[in-house]
Amino acid sequence: MKNAYLIEMTIFRDYARQLVALGALVSLCIGLGMQTPLAMPATLTCMFFMMSAMGLAAYDQLNHWELFRLTLPLSRRDIVLGRYAAIVTLGLLGMVVGTLGAVAIMAVVTAAGVPGEVGEAFAYDPDMLSVMAVVSCFTLLIGAVVASVVTPLYFRLGQTRATQILPTIIVLMFVIPVVILGNSGMLDGGIPGMELLSGALEALETPAGMAVGCVILIALSAAALCISAAISLKLYEKREL
Amino acid sequence: MHAMASDIETTGDLLIEAHGITKHYDGFSLKSVDLTVAEGEVVGFIGQNGAGKSTTIRALLGLFPTDGGNSRVLGCESSQLSRTEGARVKEGIGVVFDAISFPEHLKVADIGRIYARAYSNWDAHRFARMTADLGLDAKKTVKSLSRGMGMKLSLACALSHNARLLILDEATAGLDPMARDEILDRLRDFVAEPGHAILMSSHITSDLERIADRIVCIDAGRIVFDLPKDVITDEMGVARCRVADLEKIADSGIVPDTELRYLRHDYGIDVLVPDRFAFAESFPEIAVDRMTIDDYMTLTLKGGAR
Repeated sequence: MKNAYLIEMTIFRDYARQLVALGALVSLCIGLGMQTPLAMPATLTCMFFMMSAMGLAAYDQLNHWELFRLTLPLSRRDIVLGRYAAIVTLGLLGMVVGTLGAVAIMAVVTAAGVPGEVGEAFAYDPDMLSVMAVVSCFTLLIGAVVASVVTPLYFRLGQTRATQILPTIIVLMFVIPVVILGNSGMLDGGIPGMELLSGALEALETPAGMAVGCVILIALSAAALCISAAISLKLYEKREL
Repeated sequence: MHAMASDIETTGDLLIEAHGITKHYDGFSLKSVDLTVAEGEVVGFIGQNGAGKSTTIRALLGLFPTDGGNSRVLGCESSQLSRTEGARVKEGIGVVFDAISFPEHLKVADIGRIYARAYSNWDAHRFARMTADLGLDAKKTVKSLSRGMGMKLSLACALSHNARLLILDEATAGLDPMARDEILDRLRDFVAEPGHAILMSSHITSDLERIADRIVCIDAGRIVFDLPKDVITDEMGVARCRVADLEKIADSGIVPDTELRYLRHDYGIDVLVPDRFAFAESFPEIAVDRMTIDDYMTLTLKGGAR
């Protein structure tokens, strides 16, 4: 698996560099637009998970690389696990870059004494870091779920076919349930466990709650990726190349 | 005359051994393909476009499950080559497909890095030397390479990880004659080492005449002949005769009736002769040329039979 992972990282290296530069710019714009540094690591975390899942799959079909890769001393299992390891690495890279960028901007704005709303929004605040961690972990979960949905499809159908049906899958999985829930009136207090959710959100306002929240979000992300990897392994075993 | 793999005596260990490989697709099937490649052999694998050469090679490499038969490469079941148990066996196999098979943004040096990560016995010095000899700039991207240069890169990769077996699918396509000469020399050096062998599919049969020990031909998913190359090129011949001569040849019994194959042209008829020297003695008035692999394939696949 390690060899497959290193091969994935070699292939993705140049694109990852571009992605870091692009992501830093995008997150800076979002941060300035929203007047909060919170969005910077959150945006990059989510973006890197999605872009790496889709970007790595895009390389598979270039020059029949996907087929040729299986002539190297790698098993299908190595390839699947290497892919997930690369997605996680790149997703976490996004989180690190976003966090460092946000902290750097806060430091610069504070040191330079930038006046006005921007100065106020980006002024260094230790409490901001823990909120940033929770928000980043939440977007980590979003990114991990999206990567977990698309990656098995790429392994089963190949990049071209999977890309054709992905919009349908996304609508079926994410949009339709929200529409149904919204129109059903269940969101007005009818969903079981809403009180529990409200309690959990309140708990997130305490330092201990934040720490627990981060751990839960990371655990959920890991669970989504593990389930997805298990599905991908099954699907890719049977794929005819 | 149409010998099959089972009829051929092979010496040494079998590096590839396939029996009855069957695979059905819509509109095409591999039909009970038998193929062997022994240590020290170069086996040329020929056939028309779409005949099943690449499908057979992919089946041998375990890239898809087959519907029947079994095959082993370097002693490992093909079906295991993509599984954890068999993946390391591929350390000993160098594969080149008919076009460059790497993502196009990668540089030549990146390809070396990928192979170094994939193969425990990767020889970086040999790769660097070979790419330099073949005129490949380490900073060039795959996208910027011509087809011929891309094939050179693929061959340099296949020859730089101490493989025992090379499986080459149209690997010399797109190479200029001088580059083909150079590559054929390297392939000869490779197969001269103990325990090595090559399975090489190609439409450039002149390359196979220079390097192959045995020629296997596939047509419509079925092996149609499997013969030592020397039998084709050194013993057989093509009699260039008039239509009237065909009956005379058939009546002479020099060619068994069931094996007599011919191809009509505007100005005469070509007849496949299994022993051109015996034929020349019997029919000194009929010109008989040396058989080429192309001639033999054409006569076998397209020729008429009595």
